[in-house]
Amino acid sequence: MSATLIEVAEVGRTYAMGGLFSRHRVRAVDSVSFAMETARPEIFTIIGESGSGKTTLARMILNMVAPTEGAIRFRGTDLSTIRGAEARLKFMRAVQPIFQNPFEAFNPLKRVDRYLFMTARRVAGLPEGEVEGAADTALRNVGLSLAEIRGRFPHELSGGQLQRVAIARALIPSPALIVADEPVSMIDASLRISVVNLLRRLRDEMGMSIIYITHDLATAYYISDRIIIMRKGQVVESGDARTVLDRPQHPYSIALKAAVLSPDGTNEKTEVTSHA
Amino acid sequence: MTAPALSVTGLRAYYRTSHFGVEREVKAVDDIDFQVGVNEIYGIAGESSCGKSTLIKTIAAAIRPPLKVLAGSVVFNFGGRAVDVYRAGEREIDGIRWRHLSYIMQGSMNVLNPVRRVRNSFVDFAFRHIGRSTAEFTRVVVDHLKRLHLEPEVLDAYPHQLSGGMRQRVAIALATVCRPEFIIADEPTTALDVIVQKGVLAMIRDVQREIGSSLIFVTHDLAVHANLCHRLGIMYAGRLVEEGPTSEVFRQPLHPYTQHLVSSLPRIGDAEPKKGLEGAPPSLADPPSGCRFHPRCPVAMDVCRGNVPPMVTVAPGRRVACFVAAPESRP
Repeated sequence: MSATLIEVAEVGRTYAMGGLFSRHRVRAVDSVSFAMETARPEIFTIIGESGSGKTTLARMILNMVAPTEGAIRFRGTDLSTIRGAEARLKFMRAVQPIFQNPFEAFNPLKRVDRYLFMTARRVAGLPEGEVEGAADTALRNVGLSLAEIRGRFPHELSGGQLQRVAIARALIPSPALIVADEPVSMIDASLRISVVNLLRRLRDEMGMSIIYITHDLATAYYISDRIIIMRKGQVVESGDARTVLDRPQHPYSIALKAAVLSPDGTNEKTEVTSHA
Repeated sequence: MTAPALSVTGLRAYYRTSHFGVEREVKAVDDIDFQVGVNEIYGIAGESSCGKSTLIKTIAAAIRPPLKVLAGSVVFNFGGRAVDVYRAGEREIDGIRWRHLSYIMQGSMNVLNPVRRVRNSFVDFAFRHIGRSTAEFTRVVVDHLKRLHLEPEVLDAYPHQLSGGMRQRVAIALATVCRPEFIIADEPTTALDVIVQKGVLAMIRDVQREIGSSLIFVTHDLAVHANLCHRLGIMYAGRLVEEGPTSEVFRQPLHPYTQHLVSSLPRIGDAEPKKGLEGAPPSLADPPSGCRFHPRCPVAMDVCRGNVPPMVTVAPGRRVACFVAAPESRP
């Protein structure tokens, strides 16, 4: 048993685009490498704009898409060698996703508690008697309770609550790694901080490792231990989060930081002709 | 001192439905007063479902049942001509739309018709307002695009051939081609990446400066407000709770809700733990009594539970609706 939780080694993914006559290849992810240790839970942040390949990388880590180059090893096992329902289930128990838009992640016609029960039954493999208890424990970890959620449909909950339910669902099988793909970008600024604080608590109190994918540098600075900045599939800068964001070196990272609107800084404004 | 470009007084707009004898009333906009000056950018901030979009709809006279305006007035001042949106006839409103009052919508991908070239969208929206020959119309549009640093070639593109940022720029060009005196922008940068967002905001600022129009800018992202707006109004659960010059609202927020919003903003260079706000935004179908913020308010008093705090002026240009911040407004 090696001490590495996940190792991403020279991973690349190429997509073929276009029709029969105008075929060309797009490299969504181009030789990305990093590793996370089991002994040291951390929030590892992947920053990039849309089209930078960060979501493709997340899907490869979740074993939803196979890399075309390189390999991803989870606890020493190459993900491409996972075969059969049982091995897949074991992997799903250890690595859980949280998606960007909670309103799309939940079927609007199904009650949200059903997702928690299904995960408890099928993924965590709990006996029927423990299903409700597990769902309630997971919900309490995110500041909700089964009594509040039971029988509710997605539209009856706010975006922040729904995203917390999505996180609770991911917690049920007690995963070692959570892959959160833009978990706060669809949530109001005022509720973002509570979801981000929750990720922080998962790391500090429950010892989970989190891969946090975002384009928001401010929340990345707030919670991350290490970051990589991606552009067009390649890692342009990586290292300790505070060091990289305080003093970015690569021109792209510098441009990215300069584009962040500071709540304190006011750019030049026009003169008002008349005040109301 | 000229007249303000827009005065909203005592505006109250509810959604009223009656299905099978079950009456439902959603108080989306309740007793809102504010004014927007000429050449001013006024920001409206608030979380989703706080009534921002309903407020915008009532201001833009885009009311459809079940939304109903129960009280109040919305008066625009277009170069000395006062137009009361709810007294004017259908015809007059039609003449104002796009020519004097235009709208930059959220999610530019949904604004442009996906199966027609961008040129046709310009014809659909603006041709009858500009009212010239086809050749001259094209010249006006191309000139306008050039001023906004857009290639005239975008006219021949289909929306899917343009990137998200480009489509948003086209939507802004579309909304400003008639050089309107008043522009309403509803979350125009929410779906964009930071670098693209910065460019789009600069473009909005440039076009506003060039035309000299007034702008209402709606978003829940306070950092955008800090960088764009002259004055800021904070909405909570259908009511305006605080208003003031943007920099002052950020420096010294008065309402407990605004204080929470400002203090919980993550900043680069600041990793201090911040607290989220407990509880969920109230349902507008059954809002809490008294101050609608009191169930989540850390400094709520007994008076807040039974009485609605009025919006009072506490300093020049600064208004707040809170019994704690404005003790003189207590009953």
